[in-house]
Amino acid sequence: MTADIKSSNSDKDLKVGVFICRCGGNISDMVDIDKLKDSIDLDVVEEFVNLCSINGRKIIRDKVINENLDRVIIAACSPMTHEKTFQDYIKPLNPYLMDMVNLREQCSWVHENIEEATEKAICLINASIGKVKQSQAVDPITCQSPESAIVIGGGISGISAALSLGKQGIKTYLIEKTPSIGGNMVKIGKVFSPVRLAEECGMCLINPVMNELIWNPNVTIMTNTKVLSAERRVGIFNILLERSPRYVDSDKCISCGNCSDVCPIEVLDSWNDNLSTKKAIYRPFSQSFPDAYTIDIENCKKCGNCIKKCSMNAIHLNSENELIPINVGAVIIATGHEIFDPKLRPEYGYEKYEDVITQSELGRIMGVNGPTKGKLKMQSSNRVPKRIVMIQCVGSRDEKPDGHKYCSKVCCMVALKNANIIKNKYPDTDVLICYTDMRTPGMYEKYYKHGQENGIRLMRGRPGEISKKGNSLIVNVENTLKKEFMEIETDMIVLSVAIEPSEGTKEIAKIFDIGLTEDMFIKEIHPKIKPVTTDVKGTYVCGTAQGPNDITDSIVQANAASAKIAELLHDGLEVEPFIGEIDFEKCNLCKDCIDSCRYKAISTKDDEIFIDPLSCSGCGKCLTVCKSNAINIQGNISEKIFATIDGMLKGKKDWEQRILVFLDHVGYTAADNIGVNRIEYPKSIYIIKVHSINRVMPKHIIYALKNGVNGVFIGEYPGDLMYDEVEKRIKNMKQKIKEYGFNPERLQFSTVYIPYFTGLARKFKEFDTKIKNL
Amino acid sequence: MSVQIENNPLKFARKILSDLRASEDMGLLKCVQCGMCTSTCPGAKNSDYNPRGMVEKVLEGEESIISDEEIWNCFYCYTCHSVCPVGNNPCEINQILRGIAIDKGIANDKVGSFAGYGDSFLTIGIGAMPKSFFMELNEDIEGWLDFKSKLEEIREELGLGSITISNESIEEINTLLKKVGFNKRIEELKK
Repeated sequence: MTADIKSSNSDKDLKVGVFICRCGGNISDMVDIDKLKDSIDLDVVEEFVNLCSINGRKIIRDKVINENLDRVIIAACSPMTHEKTFQDYIKPLNPYLMDMVNLREQCSWVHENIEEATEKAICLINASIGKVKQSQAVDPITCQSPESAIVIGGGISGISAALSLGKQGIKTYLIEKTPSIGGNMVKIGKVFSPVRLAEECGMCLINPVMNELIWNPNVTIMTNTKVLSAERRVGIFNILLERSPRYVDSDKCISCGNCSDVCPIEVLDSWNDNLSTKKAIYRPFSQSFPDAYTIDIENCKKCGNCIKKCSMNAIHLNSENELIPINVGAVIIATGHEIFDPKLRPEYGYEKYEDVITQSELGRIMGVNGPTKGKLKMQSSNRVPKRIVMIQCVGSRDEKPDGHKYCSKVCCMVALKNANIIKNKYPDTDVLICYTDMRTPGMYEKYYKHGQENGIRLMRGRPGEISKKGNSLIVNVENTLKKEFMEIETDMIVLSVAIEPSEGTKEIAKIFDIGLTEDMFIKEIHPKIKPVTTDVKGTYVCGTAQGPNDITDSIVQANAASAKIAELLHDGLEVEPFIGEIDFEKCNLCKDCIDSCRYKAISTKDDEIFIDPLSCSGCGKCLTVCKSNAINIQGNISEKIFATIDGMLKGKKDWEQRILVFLDHVGYTAADNIGVNRIEYPKSIYIIKVHSINRVMPKHIIYALKNGVNGVFIGEYPGDLMYDEVEKRIKNMKQKIKEYGFNPERLQFSTVYIPYFTGLARKFKEFDTKIKNL
Repeated sequence: MSVQIENNPLKFARKILSDLRASEDMGLLKCVQCGMCTSTCPGAKNSDYNPRGMVEKVLEGEESIISDEEIWNCFYCYTCHSVCPVGNNPCEINQILRGIAIDKGIANDKVGSFAGYGDSFLTIGIGAMPKSFFMELNEDIEGWLDFKSKLEEIREELGLGSITISNESIEEINTLLKKVGFNKRIEELKK
């Protein structure tokens, strides 16, 4: 076993300066500064009462410039507190040529014996001298993406997102696969206002937004268009779009409708949930955009009547698909939802009984632009129903096959809204909502109470079966509050079916390699703290592509996604330089690294492996799978670890116990917290901060054990993306340690949490005792 | 009703879940009392049996449900299980409750008449209809008695073997059943 420390000749010639901070006594009360200074065999060793001050800066800067220092060590507080400060103070030296020794949080504040603390401080500085000599000058990587974005999906979410981007001066493509933008909101009819406790015209709310979008010079709206493929390189998405023809030239069409009048083909009108028919040449709805007719080419018999009738010569039946390549800097996925197929719950008789409908169909029926012009009628008899029973949670909160475990979130409000609309227009119709739980959080509760006052009846119970008796439908339900089994006679039944991820959402996720949740919605990288951000850098999600959301939440998400994109595009991105690079001479294109990367940072282009600096976290996972050793991570991290181990073991006496603790950012902060709270732990504990726990390799651990370390403690935060990986690797490491003749118990893996620093301190103590007794 | 601090209502539910008969993935603790089971239960339609109410009692730790007459009105159609949105199984719970009632010796009037089935294992080595039901069955199924008495001949004609078990095997079965206390339990039920 050889430690691959690159000890170039120049190492010895490097001029290192050490600056020790007394921290106003915080350090110097526990560490004998004179003894410490004497122990360092370097020309430049300075001390000051508080190095982070302006005077401290002068001392450091003068020495760096006048003494021509190559490397700098700041022995002071935790790098978590002042690393950025001192990176600035050492200018014009490269910021990565400085190392901080944590004499406060991890030495003076955790030890109560001056002699011991001083010994440890000497050791820590020694380790840092070795480490800093291995440092390389690296520059932060900055990426600038083109100031453009694509929004996929033209519903209320996509429209809101595109408008917000356009208004911020970002060139935006809004892509919609159907012939018009508008999505589901234009179909809904009325929406409810929780403030005014009334129902408002949905079209009247969305139309001004659509108009604003249409007139925004930065937004290009592309209907009949879908994404064929997409590729991401350093903040640029190369996307190939396919636009299918609408067969009517929207520049020429004046929407007179004469073509439709002469068209002999009638097809079901999906805009009315197939409750009415339309012609094969049609306008999706009155306010559709583009303001032009279109042809349903699958049903068109190409009789040519429309062409003859069109005075504008706008119809071309022989148009073909068009491929359009675009480059953008960011992506918003707004691909919307579909609804649960009520036929999957045959007990509710959706197919069997005409008067069993969905809330969406009821919305069309109640809409003045719908199939009945807003008149409530039974499908079977054309009369106004005397009673309507609404059944909640159809396909939601349902673990049966094809059901969804989640709550669809909007259905309680949808049912209340439609019930209120019916109550306003037909007060004699009895509306009964059979619910499991009414979920009307915040202001929505007021609308719920308003509905009750309006005469909507509610029954707590989930119906199990619908049957027919004579001309009436019968709902079997237990009134669970009365503990009574009921058979309720009704004219009409409305099913509140679940919101489901759309096929388009799944397709787009595949094209962009974006992760999906277990429910097949677009996954947010951290739903709690990073909403609307997906696991692919530069792509965001809004609306029902993310999960069940109502109009308001969808718009909030759309605006959030657009704000995140503005951040990304306007400011550029500065990335930590410690990322992977490929040695093309060695790479044999086995592509194992691509599958191993949890950050989706690796891809191939033109027969070369490419690591996207924006996505790479520098975790080093790819290094472990690369058989030809073709990947290196900038910054000499492995060599720095070896050098630190060497330094930390220097001067170790035979009877003395030393334990190395490897922690990443989160674990290191937890360890700092121990010091901040002045909790003592054994002097044997030596903490090494690493960029990612994954960078600690078996070779490091074995090297440490061979050189006399008594134990190795590795801590990781379970929320880390690499946690499972690390946990798995520990087992292999223990095996390896055994092969080298060491007791595997000398390696310990543990979870760490920032607020649970007392636990970490206890684990340090326990591990120290355990090692002593081995 | 006062709820004492030591009182843990879920103890009863956990006992049911750990019963041998309980399916491993039974969603008892996920029940939100939606009542879908009761709305489809033929027992509930024709009696005061209420599967949701029974599950409610179990979840509240009300062990009195064991001696509730109504639990004997379930006829194991499993519809409650097939419609339950959280994978709960009231039918299985019912069987476990009945089992507990039998163990406690408070269900002999419900199951005593079936003890004859158990006897048949001891006398002829297989499960068979007790003689006490013969006449009733003959009223319901025309020619049943005739069929029953000629069963061996019919089987022979069809080329099927005898269903009679050898005395030696019956002895063996008896030894086994006695070792596990089966015969004692059957006698208990007859009391």
